[in-house]
Amino acid sequence: MTKTYPKASRPSLDNVSVSIDKGEFVFFIGPSGSGKSTIVKMLLHEVVPNKGRVVVNGKDVTSMRSWKRPHFRRSIGCVFQDFRLLPNRTAYENVAFALEVIGKTKAVARRVVPEVLELVGLGGKEHRYPHELSGGEQQRVAVARAFVNRPLILLADEPTGNLDPDTSIEIMRLLDRINRTGTTVVMVTHDSNIVNQMRRRVIEIESGRIVRDQARGVYG
Amino acid sequence: MRMKYVMSEVLVGLWRNVTMTIAMIITMAVSLTMLGASGLIYTKVADMKQLYFENIEVSIFLDAEVTEEQRSAIATQLDSDPLISQVTYVNKDEAFQRFQEMFRDSPDLLSAVKADQLPESYRLKLVNPEEYKTISDQYTAVEGVDQVVDQSQVLDKIFNLFTAGQNIALVAAIAMAVAALLLVANTIQVAAYSKRREVAVMKLVGASNWFIQAPFVLEAVVAGLIGSVLGLGALIALKIFLFDGALSALQGLFAPVSWGEVFLTFPVMAGVGGLISAVTAWVTLRFYLRV
Repeated sequence: MTKTYPKASRPSLDNVSVSIDKGEFVFFIGPSGSGKSTIVKMLLHEVVPNKGRVVVNGKDVTSMRSWKRPHFRRSIGCVFQDFRLLPNRTAYENVAFALEVIGKTKAVARRVVPEVLELVGLGGKEHRYPHELSGGEQQRVAVARAFVNRPLILLADEPTGNLDPDTSIEIMRLLDRINRTGTTVVMVTHDSNIVNQMRRRVIEIESGRIVRDQARGVYG
Repeated sequence: MRMKYVMSEVLVGLWRNVTMTIAMIITMAVSLTMLGASGLIYTKVADMKQLYFENIEVSIFLDAEVTEEQRSAIATQLDSDPLISQVTYVNKDEAFQRFQEMFRDSPDLLSAVKADQLPESYRLKLVNPEEYKTISDQYTAVEGVDQVVDQSQVLDKIFNLFTAGQNIALVAAIAMAVAALLLVANTIQVAAYSKRREVAVMKLVGASNWFIQAPFVLEAVVAGLIGSVLGLGALIALKIFLFDGALSALQGLFAPVSWGEVFLTFPVMAGVGGLISAVTAWVTLRFYLRV
């Protein structure tokens, strides 16, 4: 795939080709501006490559019409560095909100949300507001929200960027557990510690090109 | 559940920004009242034209020393004219009687005029009252005719007045509509900003576009509908206090405004108010939500 943003002097991604299998755990690493975020945005159909194709779950989504995007997004869960929780809703409500706005009933939410909050280790803290939770706990809520709809892919854009090392490792354990359920996990990170500990596939990008693609790799 | 969610979002949205909501509703109401009023004037003018034109007469007054020959020549010409549906001859005595009847409250005027001073005339009903000009051109020059007088000329002045009133109301309606439009756009921008986090999450987890946009669009539509209800109220007040109250003395001059006509403006006002709000909100969201 190649993507050149308007007004950019060089392509953000230059003839990059990556294939990720179902159930894999992949790290994308590389310096800022290397094109990692562009890959994330392509997976979300937020940007479309100038050249090449994006295939998700066997379907070519490159030229997908924008009105189909919402439905497509339901197969991808997202976690971000800044959590993106709704501050005026409790942990339970934040997760339930994600279900309700895609048309699930309150009854479904009542059954599924406590389950997934238990899974991420927040049992007993369902009714806390984000400001009453620690950073790590807030990120767990975000992971619960991303996972509650049982997506095929979990996309994590620097999920540990705002967390201390110990908390980061806990979040990584959680992502690992989710990966074991068969969910593909794609994670963008700067955190060398984590990459080195996890020993999963590492794809390093620099200036829009893949410079390394290593199974069970380290940060390098 | 989804309908309930959307409706509660709408109410919360309207309440969160209540000063803007009120401003939006008031401008909308004034604009729609003007629109309704100009619609009413329009139908009234049409009604009145019909009413008046049915009874309208063109009078051909004859010279005082008209000869028998000239008179019968005019009569034959009038009888065979396809533009004229009915001809009535009024001699001096009848003219005097009509005059006495018309001015029976003014004895001074009555005593000043003698029977043989009033000219004889032909009173014509036209097939199409608006063809007065042709008749006038045709008969003014005929021997024995003094002048051709048409009542519709006077009426035209009155109708022009009404039409001017209608135009003023329409211009005011449009000006207020533009203001209402800008207020709707602004309210929706503010609403979209205050709900940006929710919208971002909704987009992320794949909520459908209509579901994201519906609360905003409905917020504007509800304001538009409330505006149209207030507009209806204003028109009802207008009928009670103006047409049935202050102007009731002129009943014979105006065609009366019926309740049916007042209420018939409501679907129009509600439709225009709702539609304009919805379209404005939707277009605004295109720019500020980028869904």
